[in-house]
Amino acid sequence: MDGHNMTSGEPPILLELRGMTKRYGPVIACDDVAFSLRRGEIHGVLGENGAGKSTLMKMLIGLALPDGGTIRMDGEPCRIVDPIQAASLGIGMVHQHYSLVDALTVWENVALGEKGSLARETTRDRVVGISQRYGLEVDPDAPVRDLTAGLRQRVEIIKCLRHEPRILILDEPTSVLTPEESEQLFEVLGEGVRREGWAVALVSHKLDEVLQATDRITIMRDGRVVEQVVTAEADASSLARAMVGRPVTLRAGAAAIGGSVEQIVAGPGHEVSSDGRPPLLEIADATLRAPDGAVLLDGLSLEVRPGEIVGVAGVEGNGQTPISRVLSSLLTLDAGRVMVEGAPIPTGKAGAMAAAGIVVIPADRHASGCVPEMSVAENLALSSMPKMATRGILRRDEINAHALRLIDEFDIHVSSPDALLGELSGGNQQRVVLARAMSVDPKVLVAHQPTRGLDVGAIEYIGERLRAAADGGIGVLLISTDLGEIAALTDRIVVIYRGAIIGEMARSELDIEHLGLLLGGSVEAEGAA
Amino acid sequence: MSELKAPPQQIPDPEMADQRWRSVLEMASLYVLSIGGALFISALLVAMTGSSWQKVFGALLDGAFLAPGRWGETLTVAAPMLLVALGMVIGVKAGLFNIGQEGQLLMGAMAMAFVGTKLDGPGVLLLIGGLALGMIAGGGYAALAAVMRFRRGVPEVISTLLLVFIAFQIIGFAVTTDWVLRDLDPNRPSRASTSAPLPDDVHLPIVHIFGNEFPIGIIVALLLAGFVAFMLGRTLWGFRIRLLGHNPRVAQKTGVAASRMGTWALFLSGAFAGLAGAVMLAGGGSSYRLTPGFSTNIGWQGLLVALLAQSRPLVAIPMAVLFASLRTGASFLAATGVDRKIVDIVQGLLVLALLIPPAVQFIRERRRALSAAGEEA
Repeated sequence: MDGHNMTSGEPPILLELRGMTKRYGPVIACDDVAFSLRRGEIHGVLGENGAGKSTLMKMLIGLALPDGGTIRMDGEPCRIVDPIQAASLGIGMVHQHYSLVDALTVWENVALGEKGSLARETTRDRVVGISQRYGLEVDPDAPVRDLTAGLRQRVEIIKCLRHEPRILILDEPTSVLTPEESEQLFEVLGEGVRREGWAVALVSHKLDEVLQATDRITIMRDGRVVEQVVTAEADASSLARAMVGRPVTLRAGAAAIGGSVEQIVAGPGHEVSSDGRPPLLEIADATLRAPDGAVLLDGLSLEVRPGEIVGVAGVEGNGQTPISRVLSSLLTLDAGRVMVEGAPIPTGKAGAMAAAGIVVIPADRHASGCVPEMSVAENLALSSMPKMATRGILRRDEINAHALRLIDEFDIHVSSPDALLGELSGGNQQRVVLARAMSVDPKVLVAHQPTRGLDVGAIEYIGERLRAAADGGIGVLLISTDLGEIAALTDRIVVIYRGAIIGEMARSELDIEHLGLLLGGSVEAEGAA
Repeated sequence: MSELKAPPQQIPDPEMADQRWRSVLEMASLYVLSIGGALFISALLVAMTGSSWQKVFGALLDGAFLAPGRWGETLTVAAPMLLVALGMVIGVKAGLFNIGQEGQLLMGAMAMAFVGTKLDGPGVLLLIGGLALGMIAGGGYAALAAVMRFRRGVPEVISTLLLVFIAFQIIGFAVTTDWVLRDLDPNRPSRASTSAPLPDDVHLPIVHIFGNEFPIGIIVALLLAGFVAFMLGRTLWGFRIRLLGHNPRVAQKTGVAASRMGTWALFLSGAFAGLAGAVMLAGGGSSYRLTPGFSTNIGWQGLLVALLAQSRPLVAIPMAVLFASLRTGASFLAATGVDRKIVDIVQGLLVLALLIPPAVQFIRERRRALSAAGEEA
């Protein structure tokens, strides 16, 4: 299982953990976990949310103190009590939640935490040096607030690499990256790791990515290591079974594991007949410019008919967020129209889209999907509050009952409806957003990256709910950068590129090569739609 | 609404309850410690001035409550402070920080003075009209900041503050200009700058009880505190205000337009300050006359009251009484030979002391939230 049994031909072990145990109250987060890292390897740590992956890594970086177990670096026993000490041992971590200051530039963010005087030129040069050396290109003078998620991730990694760590821990590094971005990231990492003799622990719940990028895989479930395998000898379905502890259904499961698109598209698409009625949702020639003149939407048109799931595929930053915001009444179009069942809806007018029956599950659910400071019950009732008031006075019993019903129906794990939403786990918060969206009987459901950052079980669940919504006659618009998800769930796929739809295909005629070309903006084959 | 399924049983978690008790106890001891610390430092300062802290404390207590007629005086002062604080609370709940109450209060008082001294009519009508116009004046003055905020993106913290200084100038102009509000009686007490006094029948009714007397302003303020608490906590309107304060984007999505709701919130916030000014004047503040220094920092102190009450309308009541008692108690300090400025220091220390426990709690919760966020994956 661990390094001791390995033959002498293997690279030397850099770090070895044995018997690591950590309890939080009655919960055992890590139970007698053994784990090792060799020089020059990328080691995947795979498991669902709550499997103990993060806790294990936290003990390694000194954010959590183990209740038991030993840590050896280069064979020497050591105790890691805080991140500073971990850094001095050469252990660095890139966190899942970015810790960047929006208002500062890239190089300033990298310099944060530096002691002594701050030399602008030297630091800038170092940033440029690191980014060139590892192919992590980023403009050192750009303010972080202007960067895409992918670029922010790079800044985080550069921050970490600046300390020249020997061991790098990556916690769900690709949860916000586009497929190309993550592929590139792993290419760069793999090269660096082998060249410099580091070791990387890659924490993830994406099978695809772990299979692609790692040398060995440790699979955790319920705080224990259930399997340790050499990547070359593993395959997706056995890993999924080990991780979940049960077989995963093919369709939603394939999306969850980011499985290869070809194997999913075998099933026939869901046929939707158009019977002459106007589409549920129609966006016509939507045009929108940012205050700084950047083109966000450039004559975008699309429609969603009852009972169909339309997937908007595209590389992040090509207009997905503006669409979601326009449909949330958060942005006003410069030109073009949004129509529900043929009736135009004013854009940017508070509540107009919601009143017309459009419900949006936003990608940034913290910023525009829910209110962490309010209770779960209040969050669940957000959009139906007026119906739960008599002459302006809220009927609390009804709000509570409404919450209990949805908590039950959507299986939200919460101690009571009065608990603050912010206290819930990410998956449960997402369920609250979804439950609210479905509870208002929408005509159109817009889901923007609905499964980002969720574990396999939750992803499967959300996929099922979207499908069920469409089967119930709702029009669903699924905006996602995850091609696996799009291919698994949608009936029709449109490709967004630079604020316009440049291609469309039914799922049954999905051609991956063609789709790939479209994603990259290559339209010779198709012509603008 | 459709039929309800049997709701899932809620099982009370003894461990959770236990933890809650422990945190309540912790908070209580934190308050005791920090207030004790503030009083200790105050006592040291008094000792350094050569007086004894027992004497000073006794004088403060006498001045605020024990001496004949004093608690009535304290309640009189508490009324406008509480009103100002309530306005502040409404703004904060909507995510808007109106800190210009001192100016809005003056505008309210000016409106009261105008109705009372320049218009004719039955006293009751003038009184009610003056209070109402005071609210509109204060609210309208704050609404200027709202217009700038929602049309031009000027932060209301800055605009409301700067409007205070303009208000000072406006009042100064009004009470020194014959055709505006200046008292034309040649025997007026201050030659240059005061309005005529409100006529007797435009005064707020005075409550006489247990040898104390106070205008009914405090009763109005107490009723309004309950009303604001109800509105914010139990009504759709209050929910929308809170939603706007917590997350303007979600608010916009669900039909609460920041510009409209926010303007209302700022207007109301100022209206409460304006009412405070009108109540002060009609309750006998500076002998029923509007003067340039009329507001005497009540606006600023009301802001502190709201801050210490952590935007809870009902908690603002004891806080307002506490601050009012420090003010009225201070007037008895002269007998002890201690400079009354010591009260300002005590007040400052108390503010700090009362802010420490919530700050500690905030930092702790944040840490817990951060570690919980890290836990998820």
